[in-house]
Amino acid sequence: MPLVNNKVGDDCTASGDKALADGKALVDSLIKVVACYRHLASCVGGCTDSLQLRNELRQTREKAQNLAGDICHHLTSHLRDKSLPDGQRKEMELLWVAFSSCLELLHVDMCKVLNISGIVSLADSASLVHTGLEGCSDVAARALSLPDLNQAQTDSLPAGLESQERSTMELEISQIDRMIDDMEMKVNVLRWMVEPHGPQYADPLSSTDSASMALQSIDEEQQAPTSQPLCQRSHIFVLLLL
Amino acid sequence: MSAFNASLFCVSCARAPIRQMEKVLVAMQDPDMGMKMRNQRLLITVIPHAMTGHDIITWLIQKYHICEEEALHLGEMLVKYGYIYPLKEPRCLVLRPDESPYRFQTPYFWTSTRWPASELDYAIYLAKKNIRKQGELMEYEKERYSLLHKRINHTWDFVVMQAREQLRASKQRRKADRIVLECQEQAYWLINRPPVVSPLHQYCFLFYTNTIHLKRALGRNRVKSSVCLEGFVKYSEQYQNHDPIMQGCLPSNPWISDDIAYWMMNSEIVPVPTRLRVERWSFSFMELLSDAMGRREFMTYLEKEFSAENLHFWQACEEIRHGESSKIIEKVEDVYKNFLAPGAARWVNIDSKTMDKTLEGIKRPHRFVMDDAQMHIYFLMKKDSYPRYLKSDLYKNMLAKAVVPQETKKSVFPFMRRQRHSSPSPAQAGAQAAEEDGRAGTNSAAGSHF
Repeated sequence: MPLVNNKVGDDCTASGDKALADGKALVDSLIKVVACYRHLASCVGGCTDSLQLRNELRQTREKAQNLAGDICHHLTSHLRDKSLPDGQRKEMELLWVAFSSCLELLHVDMCKVLNISGIVSLADSASLVHTGLEGCSDVAARALSLPDLNQAQTDSLPAGLESQERSTMELEISQIDRMIDDMEMKVNVLRWMVEPHGPQYADPLSSTDSASMALQSIDEEQQAPTSQPLCQRSHIFVLLLL
Repeated sequence: MSAFNASLFCVSCARAPIRQMEKVLVAMQDPDMGMKMRNQRLLITVIPHAMTGHDIITWLIQKYHICEEEALHLGEMLVKYGYIYPLKEPRCLVLRPDESPYRFQTPYFWTSTRWPASELDYAIYLAKKNIRKQGELMEYEKERYSLLHKRINHTWDFVVMQAREQLRASKQRRKADRIVLECQEQAYWLINRPPVVSPLHQYCFLFYTNTIHLKRALGRNRVKSSVCLEGFVKYSEQYQNHDPIMQGCLPSNPWISDDIAYWMMNSEIVPVPTRLRVERWSFSFMELLSDAMGRREFMTYLEKEFSAENLHFWQACEEIRHGESSKIIEKVEDVYKNFLAPGAARWVNIDSKTMDKTLEGIKRPHRFVMDDAQMHIYFLMKKDSYPRYLKSDLYKNMLAKAVVPQETKKSVFPFMRRQRHSSPSPAQAGAQAAEEDGRAGTNSAAGSHF
């Protein structure tokens, strides 16, 4: 960090650090929300699709958009500030790149949800695809950082809700589109200059997490087509671990 | 046009067969008339909505009244396009008409909703898999992971963080659902990023053919375009006066005036050739040789110079090249006897290397066996006799004698209607002249102007 010898300078760098921390927190929560949105979107059109799911999707989406708007504002204003010290600028650019990737994922997911709702309609419950999933989850709660969602839902589908949803979605997708375009216009971040911090291979989440996951996931990697039934192999696998 | 609209457009282009497949899929979900669902048992977990390959085929046969072969084919398509995925041996994307279990793919991963599977997505998937399996990826997955790490390096922190978050989100679900979600994702990526057998084999042949093509290209003669264009300009300037379209033809254009004098004057053999024609003999040696009269004149000249055998030889070789296949051997024999054999009546002077090569070739005669010798004599004549001919009195007299036809007077009444009738065919005019000479074929001299 460059040396500064006046009080104003100190304030600047201090506030710069704070801005960085703020930005990082915002981007982290956006990443979390986008992950949840993706998770929810993958259930659309399947047998777990319901009004509740769509509500959760909507709420998650709104949260994502609000966050996105905040981050955009925050990062744009800081990156356009010419007096930003180099170290902070690099960090900001990293956040910027992460933010634009987030937006990309969100955009794709929103488009997919729009598309699916066109093919498989919620009103026609006989056409929902039997994907093998069951049960509700607290994914949305995680996204919205609420202990639990207010489960008040209506069982019947209000008339015209789907078409209203569609037009809202389309509007919001174009909004995200415009945000992406605006970003590219206003701030010029050279992607090939940005260097990430982390290693190539991510560490496991935590020892307990990964162990339990390994235990419960089926052994998908069969080396050669064997005639052994699936259960037998997992059986042996479990025995080895115990 | 926003990215959203562009992607919609791309997808809609390929929609029709995909839409049909989706209709089949949706029909299979019907609670009464749809597919029969079974439970999949894994250890202590029970996952619903599995179906056997045999059931799928049976349902297709019954629903669409098709034969088993067709049902098998249709089922295979559903698997290969990722609408149904196998639960046992997930890497083997075939539909087995037996008890093998399958499951429907969630619409999120359907082909029609498949936004181009992006690198970012794939990187996140591999990162997730890497975390879950603690580094145990397949070989090709490891390679691609490293490649992606280089390609989208700038956003790698995001990739890892997003992978973690997605895993955390899925932990909120029960075990059975987690398994299903993993299977779904794996099936999706097996279709969109299938393992490649060996990129080397694919590209080897391509590189090989490319190399050969490029080597050939290097060996070709190159001419600067300026030189090329200069030559073209010179040719155009030289021939401008001789072009009937640019300069008009004298006495008159037969197509307009219905007067065939022009063709008659330029037929193959005439008592007096036109001036333009004689001028053309001086443009190039080939012009002289391709004109029957020119050749005749040149022959007369060569006889005076005692080198007529060259032209005879050349003519004989032309006959071999362009004549009947059945007579080739006979003609080659004649040529050898008359021109090439030691002590022949009209022995031509060819260098020893070409002579040896030709004599070798005569042992197995074919159409082009005389090519080298003919080329040699052609250049001999071109460099030696031809320039002298052009300077000779014979040529100059011919030029002086040559006739310049008068332009026919145009009709006094320019707007008078002419009676239209079909013009005499130039082919007929030529045939008359040719019959006189005892040679068949069209009038090449007149014909060459068109």
